[in-house]
Amino acid sequence: MSNLTLKNLKKSYGAVEVIKGVDLAITPGEFVVFVGPSGCGKSTLLRMIAGLEVVTSGTIEIADRDVTQLEPYDRGIAMVFQSYALYPHMTVAENMGFALRLAGHAKPERRKAVEEAARILQIGHLLDRKPAQLSGGQRQRVAIGRSIVRQPDVFLFDEPLSNLDAELRVQTRIEIARLHQTLDTTMIYVTHDQTEAMTLADRIVVLRGGIIEQVGAPTDLYDDPDNAFVAGFIGSPAMNFLPCVAASANEVTVAGLTIALPQLQTQLRQGESMKMGIRPEHLNGTNGPSVAMKIDVVEQLGATAFVHGMLGGDLPLLVEARAMRPKAGDMINVPFDPQHVFLFDANGDRIR
Amino acid sequence: MSDATNIGSKAEKRIAVLFLAPALLLLIIFRLIPLGWGFGMSFTDANNAGTARWVGADNYLRAVNDPTFQDSVANTVILLATMPMMVMLPMLLAILIHQGVPGGKFFRAVYFLPAVLSSVIVGAIFNVVLRYDGSLNEFLAVFGFDAVDWLGSSSTALGALIAVQLWSTFGMSVLIFMAGLTTVPEDIIEAARIDGARFWQRLWFIVIPSLRPIIEFVAVVTTVGLLTNMFGLVYVLTGGGPGTATTLPEFLIWLEQGKLNRPGYAAALSMFLFVMMAGVAYAQIRIMKRNAEV
Ligand SMILES: Nc1ncnc2c1ncn2[C@@H]1O[C@H](COP(=O)(O)OP(=O)(O)O)[C@@H](O)[C@H]1O
Ligand SMILES: [Mg+2]
Repeated sequence: MSNLTLKNLKKSYGAVEVIKGVDLAITPGEFVVFVGPSGCGKSTLLRMIAGLEVVTSGTIEIADRDVTQLEPYDRGIAMVFQSYALYPHMTVAENMGFALRLAGHAKPERRKAVEEAARILQIGHLLDRKPAQLSGGQRQRVAIGRSIVRQPDVFLFDEPLSNLDAELRVQTRIEIARLHQTLDTTMIYVTHDQTEAMTLADRIVVLRGGIIEQVGAPTDLYDDPDNAFVAGFIGSPAMNFLPCVAASANEVTVAGLTIALPQLQTQLRQGESMKMGIRPEHLNGTNGPSVAMKIDVVEQLGATAFVHGMLGGDLPLLVEARAMRPKAGDMINVPFDPQHVFLFDANGDRIR
Repeated sequence: MSDATNIGSKAEKRIAVLFLAPALLLLIIFRLIPLGWGFGMSFTDANNAGTARWVGADNYLRAVNDPTFQDSVANTVILLATMPMMVMLPMLLAILIHQGVPGGKFFRAVYFLPAVLSSVIVGAIFNVVLRYDGSLNEFLAVFGFDAVDWLGSSSTALGALIAVQLWSTFGMSVLIFMAGLTTVPEDIIEAARIDGARFWQRLWFIVIPSLRPIIEFVAVVTTVGLLTNMFGLVYVLTGGGPGTATTLPEFLIWLEQGKLNRPGYAAALSMFLFVMMAGVAYAQIRIMKRNAEV
């Protein structure tokens, strides 16, 4: 059973196609995050699900009902906007109860639903204020509260944290996760921030240029990316990519060093040019092959340090160093475990 | 407020005074002095021959008991009662154009056209349209309606005049509302759509409340227009008649002062009009102040 199904969904603005055929099935109660660089079509896709954008082709099903042509209010969804989109002339309580008012619920009933949502979000003391009298974080809660009151089948969030300061962002992120646990309702969440995606999602949908690059649990995307784009997008700081050449069926040469990759199932063609990817946090092993790096810049965070350097003079490399206090200008040896090496072909597709 | 007056050095303030002075001077010479002068004259029996005698409050007492003046005030009240319509109609049209009716830009231009015509030209046009053998009656005859003397019968003359005023001013109001509509955030309308608001509910609960400052502004401008800009239309279309059916205070003042050679009495009537206008101006200032605080 599926709570929300997208079938070959497409969207064009004039001659420009921005969503190029998206297929996705979301199970009830799942927390799905659409992530991707700015302009990749995340908001457009979300707004199509909401019914705010006309679908060019394909279908959207919510709770096993084709809603492709339905008005937003007939789809059983609620949406939290990046700008919060609170009604400025209404109080917080009126904002939150507006949907129920339109649906014809009596005032005491509305009040009860609003108070219940306000209790969950701890905004009970704000109910009689106008949005202009609230801080950004408070407005955010009210916007979330407004969506809770309606008890939708699916919650939609479009970058809900991007207007908050860093501290509040982390707090609210945790609260949204908690809310998902409490309500156990399907949530679709759009962000360009891979940290938000990793921390919140049951499943991440990585989008680029209007197509899905990969769908999977956060750890799947981290451990087993399908292509260089996903590998580079998921994980912070981003994965290092180094040009390499196949030395034999399961060996590659990178920066003059030949390493064996026994995990490879594919037979490499000797002499083939490829890209090798390795995450900064995997460049601090204690044994295994090692490369020598000259340190350019050190970002010291205390527990860990991000060390930027050059391999053989012209290959930039980022190393996460835990147990040492490196200094700019030093030469260090960087040992790593070949198990953590990913290979990508010239198109950026993963060679497994 | 006090913040605003504290901005700038002394030199800058002197320059500001310098720039404001000419306007102030003109205001005093052409507005305040005539006002005081008229106020004085309203207590005399001044005529255009140049003699004037102090008559105390006689002119005011006469005005209160003057059936023509009473009728003109009654007409003004009727006129003002149409103000809500003169605000709502352009607002609805602006909303429809803003919604993206096909050819919206064309409508906007067409609606605005009358606003750039002088009232004399508008009057001339509607003389042709509304007179007994005019094009409106010809048009209605097609549907079998009897001809009506729109401007010549006391039951329709004021209504016709109001319709013409509406026609000639609503384009400007449409334009003001269109500008106002672009400031209503799209996302709150989308949020309302998701919350279940149908088209009319979105208008009623979201768009119109967001337009409130604009509505108040248009209401004030329309009211001022009704009280002060009808003269040309009255003059060209009806001459205040039939009887007193379309006589407005403004027109009556002009009659008394020029035609009937009673500037003193006209001055007293002007004072009544002034008080009415002052009431509107006061309301306007209150409204703008409140909007500034939001
Ligand atoms: N109304 C529109 N008209 C034309 N192009 C649009 C419109 N809305 C979005 N786009 C384009 O569609 C693409 C995806 O936009 P969007 O979904 O907002 O991206 P994201 O939310 O991932 O940053 C962008 O290239 C944007 O320029
Ligand atoms: Mg977006």
